[in-house]
This record gives sequence, structure tokens and C-alpha cells, in this order.
Amino acid sequence: MSRPPVPFTAAGVVRGLARGSALSPGVLAYGVVFGVLAGEAGRSALEAVLMSAFIHSGSAQLAALQGLATGPFVAPIVATILLTNARYVLYGAALRGWYGAAPPAGVWPSLFLLGDGNWAMAMKEHEQGRHDGGFLLGSGLAQFVPWTIGTWIGHATGSAIADPRRFGMDFMIVALAAAMATAFWRGRASLAPAGVALAVALAVHAWMPGGWTALAAGLAGAGTAWMLHDDER
Amino acid sequence: MTTNADFLLALAAMAAASYACRLGGFAAMRFVRATPRIEAALRAVPLSVMIGIVAPSLGTSGPAEWIGLAAVALAMRLSGNNDPLAAMIGVAAVAAARAAGL
Repeated sequence: MSRPPVPFTAAGVVRGLARGSALSPGVLAYGVVFGVLAGEAGRSALEAVLMSAFIHSGSAQLAALQGLATGPFVAPIVATILLTNARYVLYGAALRGWYGAAPPAGVWPSLFLLGDGNWAMAMKEHEQGRHDGGFLLGSGLAQFVPWTIGTWIGHATGSAIADPRRFGMDFMIVALAAAMATAFWRGRASLAPAGVALAVALAVHAWMPGGWTALAAGLAGAGTAWMLHDDER
Repeated sequence: MTTNADFLLALAAMAAASYACRLGGFAAMRFVRATPRIEAALRAVPLSVMIGIVAPSLGTSGPAEWIGLAAVALAMRLSGNNDPLAAMIGVAAVAAARAAGL
């Protein structure tokens, strides 16, 4: 079965930038926090910015900072990054049906910028019938740029920066996820996968907190939908 | 603005691990035949992941976060599902609730 080719236009990139920029202040604030922590951990400004540019994942970078400070061994750090970023494997798999028909020259850089916020926004775009592949790239840049700039600012200014908790910035990704959950809700068909995902997420959170709940919930919801799927329809 | 070869080698390994996760699922699905059943499973992923991100805050958070979630739900209703706006209103509600000492 061949699919129609997916467009990848500048207009799609611009639309992604515009939609994604709503998240930029929160991303900037967390970039600043990482910059401060990287400075305190003895990394230079260049090193901090390189980490933000090339690892581009808050939880993985925090783990990496700790790993770099405790020993010369890279293998445990790489293993930690693979675990904290394992949810991206699921995100990428979910993008296949859409981006599989997009030009590869647009797909590879887009996936480099894949994050929680821009992935959720892009999946919603796709559900609403807008298939321009530029969206993920644009919304990804709206996170990548403030993340790296925030890192540099944080490293330059040090811990003089105010606590982002005061501005509720730690709540940004939860608030967005809650908003997205209502947007992704499709009535009764969503009930069973969502219920199982919630139960599994709560159990996993109680049992082994950390970066696992999103991945476990995603797998649980997918597994439920897989089992309940009726081939007759 | 300095660095050294040890750090750059570690950085290359860390970057490769990070990008491998981002590419891995997408690349692997090239070799999986997308049956309707698999497509149904993948369609359930976004909602499930969002629930997985919100769930930890349900158990451990205080009144400020509850107010924030209620503000998000209300803003989604009133704004016709404008999610970035609803998220920002939720963040503002949390900040205000914390400022009020909740």
C-alpha cells in the first residue's frame, strides 16, 4: 500500500514555530536551571551548551552531569541516557505512519529535535488533519533554541537566578500533558486504554519513580488497544 | 570556554545514545508491517503517554497543582481546545496558588 507523499514546507515549519513558542518560556527557564547546575558541577560554558545542543533532553543531561562528575566511565552514562530517553523510541514509532512518507532530508533533523512537548503537539496536528512535516521541525526549534540559550544564560549568571518553581514552570509539562490528554480523548474508545495506562502509571510511579511512568503508560495503553482491536470492523 | 578530548569523546557517545532513541522507533517501524491492529495500538500511544506524564503529580502534589489541573481543564473547555494557552493558564494558576501560600 503506497501512501501519498507528505508535504514538508516552510509554512509548516513556521506554523510549528508559532505553536511551539508557547512552550519556549518554560523551556528557557529549565535551560537556565541546567546551565546553573552544569556550572556548579564544574563544566565549562562551552561544555554545558554542547550538552544541551547534542543530548537535548533535560532528564538525560542531569543524569549525565552526575555521571561525568563521579567517574571516567562513559558506559554507565550512555546506559542511563538510553533508559531516560527510551520513551522517544515509542514516540518515533507512533510518527512512522505520518513521517514514513515525508522526505528523509526533513525527517532526520526533525527527529533530532524530538521532545515531549513538540511530539505531543505534532501528533495532535496530524489527528486534526494537518500533515505538513515541517511542523515537528518548527516546534522542535522552538524548544531547542531557548533550551541552549537558557543553558548559556544559566551558566553565565550562576545561581543568582530565581527559583523556576515560584513561577510554576515545573508544572509546564504536566499542564501541557493534561491539556493534550483532553484533546486526544476520543470518547468511549479511549476509556479502556486510558484506564489501563493510568493504573499502570500510578503503579510504576509508586514502585519505581523516575522517568519510567510515561513509557510504561504508553506501552500499557498501546497494548490494551492492540488486544481490544476488532479485525472485523 | 574550554573543554578537552575526554569530554568531547563522552559527549559524542552521549549524543549518539540520545539520537539513537529518537531514531530507533521510527526506523524500526520500517520493518514492521503496519496492520490495522498495530495502527490502533500506536494511535493509543499519545493519550496514554500524556496520562503517564500527569499521573505522578496526582499522587504527590498539593492543592496548588490540583488548582492548576482544574484551571487547565476549564481553559481547554472555554478556549475550544487551545492547548498551549490552557497549559500557560495552568502554570499561572499554580504560580498564583503558591504565591498565596497553598
